[in-house]
Amino acid sequence: MRHFRRLAQVGAVLAAITVLAACGSSSNKSSSTSSSSGSNASSGTGGSSPITIGTSLSLSGDFAADGQAFERGYQLWVHDQNAAGGLLGHQIKLDVLSDASSPSQVVTNYQHLIGSNHDQLVFGPFSTLLTVPSARVAARYGYAFVEGAGGGPSVFGEGLHNVFDVTVPVKNGLVTWAQWVASLPASQRPKTAAYATVNDPFTQPQIPVAQAILTAAGVKTVLNKVFPAEVTDYTPIASQVAAAKPDAVVLGSVDVPTVSAFVHAFIQQHFNPKAFIATAGPDQGDAFVKAVGTGNENGIFVPNGWFGGLKKADSQKMVAEYIAKYGGTPSDVNADVAEAYSVGQAIAQAVAATHSLDNSKIIAYLHSGVTLNSVQGPVKFDSLGENTAGVTQTFQWQKGNLVESIPTTAAGASPPLFPKPAWVG
Amino acid sequence: MSALSAPAPGRARRTRAVVAGLWLIALVIFVLFPLVITDSTATTIAVYTVIFMAATTAWNIFSGYSGYLALGHAVFFGSGGYAVALAARDWHFKGGWDVFGLLPFAGVVAALIAVPVGLVALRVRRHTFVVVTIAIFFIFQLAALNLGFTGGTSGINFPIATFPPATYNNPFYYIALAILVISVLMSWSVRRSRFGLQLLAVRDDEDRALGLGVKTRRVKLIAFVLSAFPVGMLGGLYFYFLGQVYPQFAYDPLFDISLALMGFIGGIGTLVGPLLGALVLETLQQYFTQSVSGTGTYLIVYGVLFLAVILLLPRGVVPSLAMLWQRRRVRAATRAAESREPARRGDMAGVAR
Amino acid sequence: MSATALLQAIVDGVLTGGVYALMAAGLTLIFGVMDIINIAQGAMVVLGAYLSYELETKAGIPLLPGLLITIPAMFVLGMAIEFCFMRRVRETERAAMSILVTFAVAIIIEGVLSKAFGVDYVQLHASYVDKSIYLLGFYLPWIYVIAFVLAAVLLVALYALLYRTRFGRAVRASLQNRTAADLIGVNVDRTRMIAVGIGVAITAVGGFAFGATNAFNPNSGYDLISRLLAIVILGGMGSIGGAMAAAVFMLVINDVVAVAWSPTWAPLVFFAALVLVLSVRPQGLFGRSGVRAQ
Repeated sequence: MRHFRRLAQVGAVLAAITVLAACGSSSNKSSSTSSSSGSNASSGTGGSSPITIGTSLSLSGDFAADGQAFERGYQLWVHDQNAAGGLLGHQIKLDVLSDASSPSQVVTNYQHLIGSNHDQLVFGPFSTLLTVPSARVAARYGYAFVEGAGGGPSVFGEGLHNVFDVTVPVKNGLVTWAQWVASLPASQRPKTAAYATVNDPFTQPQIPVAQAILTAAGVKTVLNKVFPAEVTDYTPIASQVAAAKPDAVVLGSVDVPTVSAFVHAFIQQHFNPKAFIATAGPDQGDAFVKAVGTGNENGIFVPNGWFGGLKKADSQKMVAEYIAKYGGTPSDVNADVAEAYSVGQAIAQAVAATHSLDNSKIIAYLHSGVTLNSVQGPVKFDSLGENTAGVTQTFQWQKGNLVESIPTTAAGASPPLFPKPAWVG
Repeated sequence: MSALSAPAPGRARRTRAVVAGLWLIALVIFVLFPLVITDSTATTIAVYTVIFMAATTAWNIFSGYSGYLALGHAVFFGSGGYAVALAARDWHFKGGWDVFGLLPFAGVVAALIAVPVGLVALRVRRHTFVVVTIAIFFIFQLAALNLGFTGGTSGINFPIATFPPATYNNPFYYIALAILVISVLMSWSVRRSRFGLQLLAVRDDEDRALGLGVKTRRVKLIAFVLSAFPVGMLGGLYFYFLGQVYPQFAYDPLFDISLALMGFIGGIGTLVGPLLGALVLETLQQYFTQSVSGTGTYLIVYGVLFLAVILLLPRGVVPSLAMLWQRRRVRAATRAAESREPARRGDMAGVAR
Repeated sequence: MSATALLQAIVDGVLTGGVYALMAAGLTLIFGVMDIINIAQGAMVVLGAYLSYELETKAGIPLLPGLLITIPAMFVLGMAIEFCFMRRVRETERAAMSILVTFAVAIIIEGVLSKAFGVDYVQLHASYVDKSIYLLGFYLPWIYVIAFVLAAVLLVALYALLYRTRFGRAVRASLQNRTAADLIGVNVDRTRMIAVGIGVAITAVGGFAFGATNAFNPNSGYDLISRLLAIVILGGMGSIGGAMAAAVFMLVINDVVAVAWSPTWAPLVFFAALVLVLSVRPQGLFGRSGVRAQ
């Protein structure tokens, strides 16, 4: 008798699960406004049926913070493009699926977007680690895969001709900063440098490039270590760096917690380097400042293809819209938003130029060596899909704002703060 | 089987025939599935589901029958993936059906790894065993991250399989199905064998089994290695399907927990249980993640459902169903006995027979 | 690798060990009392950190006084979890079931935190978090010293509770033999509930220490739990002093290897050391062998 009741309970639970799953999958279908006319229909037929662009984003899990920023960027672009008439006269609808930062899920999602929903175009997901599996799915169907966050070397040159990364390839991220350091007069130039990086395909390629430039300029390497990403306690490595007392610190980091931990460890050890650059983290705006403590952000450099205060018309317009919707200041705007927005712009230009939504034509156009425009600057793809026209600039936090600093000759660049001001404590 | 009322021989044969028939029908359904349902999303999810059904069944051969909860089978899954990726790259495989030929190699690699791992882990019992498997799992993940030949954090890419897009998933599906059949056969034959009995004895009371002369160390190790082989093959298949293998995902703690959860919900230690658990959970999980995972709500709902099923059905679905079936049989038998001898009220029905 | 670097690493390891001991103490206590491996421990640490964070940012209550609120809150939560979930786990398959049940609890906690706080990283701030004492040529960060002292004090208090009070005797009795304890009049259910409550309450302090030394978000519990499990098993499940010793031992090894060899290999040595010690001594450094062990 008891078992009957138990089984009834389970039956109810399973029924609930099934209902939820059914609701889930059906509501999902409805959100994608089944754009009727199937796949890569080419141009100019009746202008009122909307175009769907599909994408999978990490709205939860490891990449959640970036994934959500990406979604905002995509949505902003869709809104602006629709206001300007959409693509070839059709309004655009964004079809977003969530992948919880999981590669198996991202494969299912793109299968769903392309194979089941028959979205005409797709945007890429967030992160190198998710780009390869999803790009393969898109390649199978002949879809162009324009993305802004998959720049690790494993993405390119693996036989995928449909991948286009609008953001500058990772390995040259530190070049402008290193060149600036090398260009300082010998009396001011840092004599020693310490390199520490997390073991990540985004950061590791950048270190040797910077190191080569600095060593050639006579900056001695006093420490060069790789540390694991999953370890939550960075004090040992940070203490090592502090103990070596380098004039310059080059930190390969992918997120705010890493940089924050180093900053706090440096403060605890009463160590203040003359120059400090981190590959990512300081570009996360407000989240970064809160983590390191207001005042401590000043003087820290970060390379980037873009920043909130960039004096470029389309960028400023995007930033203004972002602030209107989400609040904050230009410095608070996450660079991911611009990366996502640029993806949309690249597609729009390719569609306009080829007068079609045909993916093969888009791919051919993007590979044709044409230079496109984006909020992040010029975009030109080489045969591998890397953006060779982009220039990484180096930004620095000065007086509570992230400002463009290097190359010092760029318009609107603010001279670098050097040596780095003392910690606020 | 029922001890209360020995069924007439005819009925036993009939039950067996019914069960065999059910298995056959299930197999046919699985074989026909991608040919009938051609939606590529559904077949993608089907590939994952079949892979997990096979993995859970294989895991159950060890953890279910011996009672030792192993939470480190991702070691075999990921190592299988790396084995195939490295071999495909270094031996210049083109990409297509040929890479599938590497799967048995992956299985063997996993089994070979299982020997030293098992020797170390099986020195300790129950609780400590669980944590040792977790520790070994992390050792592998960290080694994959740091050793040069595994490609570090970027991992290794597989050759691109040149199957046509409309039916791309089918080859993977059928290979997975083949491995599933192998795993089920392994599990079934272990269960019926003397070896299986020894394993179950270990689960029930290890000290007594030892006292009765069962070579517990050897029995456990053999089961451990046996369970690793299919999981290694499945790992090779899975990562080939995704196209890339890298440490954080190849050695993923969620994989270990998923196996355990699927095994438990279905009914650990049974033959059908793991299949059922994986079937239900993997499909639900894929659909769920797509539509709801955008918010913390997904996690809350998942956790609550998880809890509800574990607490309400601690034995899992299959054993509970089996018990229910049992009850009905007993009731039917006693009713039949009563109706045959209505005068003999004094006797406890059925027992006197 | 110089001698000072090595010494610094050892000092760092000892101090960080204090933080980990605080986080692991609740885990080992819960296991000792309930025979349950609490996989949700990592999530609970993060929860404790978020509670402190909430008090600090919304109510302006500084961290240490805030503990006076978070500790009782987590105490009640611990009792609730024991009552609602842990109690229902059947005796026969405790090891496996407890893992799954507590994992589900961990997922729920993570989901609630994600909804409430979003996924951005935050950190606890206090004036002393960045300050350090200068001792014998080393800078010892205040926060680690405070955590270490707190850990020592709490662990001594726990020890006193378990071995010097009637309640403690009741806990140990129900731990060793439930039926016998029942027979002599110990209210086993209530004792266990309170013990789990205490375990989770301690974790509130661990959360404070963790949150002050690391930036965290709802996901941070995953990285933590594997290390906490390793520490607790190494120290011997149920042994509080063992957890402290193991935490210090593990972290010192970790830091020394990071300096002497490479930081990427350090965590691996951690787990390898665990496996090695357990192969030789399955009950851990300070665990009891025989009756209670496995």
